Amino acid sequence: MEDNRIGRRTVLRTAGALAAATAVTGCGTLMGSGGSRGSSGGGGKNKIVVSNTGGAYNDALTKALYEPFAKETGITVTTVNYQSAQIIAQVRQGRPQVDLMDNTLLIFQKMARLDCLEAVDYDRLKSVKGAGIAEHQLPEHAVGKNVWASLMAYRTDSLKRAPKGWADFWNTHSFAGQRSLQSAEADNPELEFALLADGVPLDKLYPLDLDRAFASMSRIRGEVKKFWNTGALPAVLLGRKEVVMTSLWSGRADELIKQGQPVAYQWNGARRLTNGWGIPKGADNTDAAYKLIDFSLRPEVQAAFAKLFPQGPVVPAATKLLSDDVLATLPTSPQNLKTGFDTDVAWWDKNVEAVAKRWREWADA
Amino acid sequence: MAGTAVAPAKVRVKTSEKRGHRSRIALVNAVPVTVFLLVLFVYPIIGVLSLSLEGDSGGFTLHWYTDALSGVNLSVLLSTLRISAETALLSLLVGFGLAHAIARMRPVFAALAMLIVVVPHFISALVRTYGWIIMLGEHGLINSLATSVHAPGAPYSLLYNETGVVIGTTSVMLPYTVLVLQGAMRGVDGRLLAAAAGFGASRLTIFRRIYLPLVAPGIGTAGLLSFILCLGYYITPALMGGDKQTVVAALIDQQVMKQDQWNSAAAFGVILLLLTFAGLGVLGLAKLRRTRAHARRSGS
Repeated sequence: MEDNRIGRRTVLRTAGALAAATAVTGCGTLMGSGGSRGSSGGGGKNKIVVSNTGGAYNDALTKALYEPFAKETGITVTTVNYQSAQIIAQVRQGRPQVDLMDNTLLIFQKMARLDCLEAVDYDRLKSVKGAGIAEHQLPEHAVGKNVWASLMAYRTDSLKRAPKGWADFWNTHSFAGQRSLQSAEADNPELEFALLADGVPLDKLYPLDLDRAFASMSRIRGEVKKFWNTGALPAVLLGRKEVVMTSLWSGRADELIKQGQPVAYQWNGARRLTNGWGIPKGADNTDAAYKLIDFSLRPEVQAAFAKLFPQGPVVPAATKLLSDDVLATLPTSPQNLKTGFDTDVAWWDKNVEAVAKRWREWADA
Repeated sequence: MAGTAVAPAKVRVKTSEKRGHRSRIALVNAVPVTVFLLVLFVYPIIGVLSLSLEGDSGGFTLHWYTDALSGVNLSVLLSTLRISAETALLSLLVGFGLAHAIARMRPVFAALAMLIVVVPHFISALVRTYGWIIMLGEHGLINSLATSVHAPGAPYSLLYNETGVVIGTTSVMLPYTVLVLQGAMRGVDGRLLAAAAGFGASRLTIFRRIYLPLVAPGIGTAGLLSFILCLGYYITPALMGGDKQTVVAALIDQQVMKQDQWNSAAAFGVILLLLTFAGLGVLGLAKLRRTRAHARRSGS
């Protein structure tokens, strides 16, 4: 009987180990399927795997881009939420599991430096020719698609008058109350805002004067309740009256404003960054990738997306298809284009590590 | 059923032989698990270790370690240790009270109380942390209450500083400490306490001389467990702390995800792992001393 019991235990244990092992290999095949989908070549050309940052962004893209694209071309889009670091690691292993990435031009600048992206063959993109897309949005290894921004939002009930720009944000005397700014953990710190507040003109920001920027940051630091590190936090802080002013990513306070909270945006001095497409090195479903890129740059597709998600089109013709109400929420409206600035991705890519280190030292002091 | 029919004497003869057989079978049983661990745990760790010792252009270097243990990185490491220690201490204090209360409850209520302690764990850490803002914020529940009763010094800053982090991480670690402590408390023989009381010991003496030594191993395990878990914990310090409460895990995330700096991240990972081992070593040493002392006492 004893032996018998041991026997049963052995079976159970082995079964457990086997189950665990299958679970693991199961995961392996699950993750691998993205790769095989991407690199199956041959018959599987009517599928494409795209990575994006997920959430509401993915929902809007599905409606405005992926579904109409599938209807027209018969190519279905599967999305995954891989971060760029994962894809870089995959490329280095020689098997990128996505055919096309949707990310910021800053990430693509870095990936191009690390030799992880295919160069873009602009001859294959009909929508780009003569579309008037800004030159900095069409780099060698990526194609710009839509523009978002970091900007200011404030509580209209807590301040006597509306802050007009970052100088007012830094003016703790006339605009009393706690503030919030972005931490270096979330994205590149908002050194540009510190410089604008210190009197640097919009077109003279880059290369950033780090000493001056951090000195300016030190002046506001005492009034900063929290350097936010997740995109949703600044709106929460604003909504809970924890702060009177904050920086945030475009669109993040829309929900508060819709609820009727006394919150408004200030687009003056907004920092724009373009999201776009990049083809990871070694991805071999490039035909479908180019088709999707080309489709996404049609003015009507660009406009449809901007209506669903507060990111501006890169194609000027799309701007004409949008109402003034929608335009007012976009970083690329004619008005907002004038008062904001574009992130210099080359400068940031070169200096991101040094800035991150300096930020840590500054925060620790 | 055949085994039970065998005469007792015969069984005794067989036991030692059987034990050897059993341990051999146990060894065979351990093979899948060992292979499993070797492939999925030991091999990656060796990979991380070699990454941390590899220079930017290959070759051996200790650069990542000297970098991790100097300047601002050292201060991040120290504040991680400090936050972990504070959390371990606080979750022990709160957990001890809670576990003590639960251990004396009727089973139904004890189960209910355990449920209340554990259930928040199933809610996403992000959501839970936003809940804390509603609770601890400047216009949160606690501060509105404090200001309405004109408590001195209100409103308090309970968020975005070390207080906030320790409150947050303690609530995360609490289920672990309560579960471990409760196990230890259940194992205490009530007759020993009754005997001490019978000899006229005061309640404090009973607690100090009988109860506490009996649950001490549980306290050690619980404290160390929350310390170790806290060392690698990341979301709550990031969301509830200020810019001075950067923890090592956040640094690792930043280095891998943003800066493509795997070597430095690996060095930090190895340092955390060594700290964990050191913690386990301390616990093992304490256990060893206890068993030795016990052996000496029962020997004399």
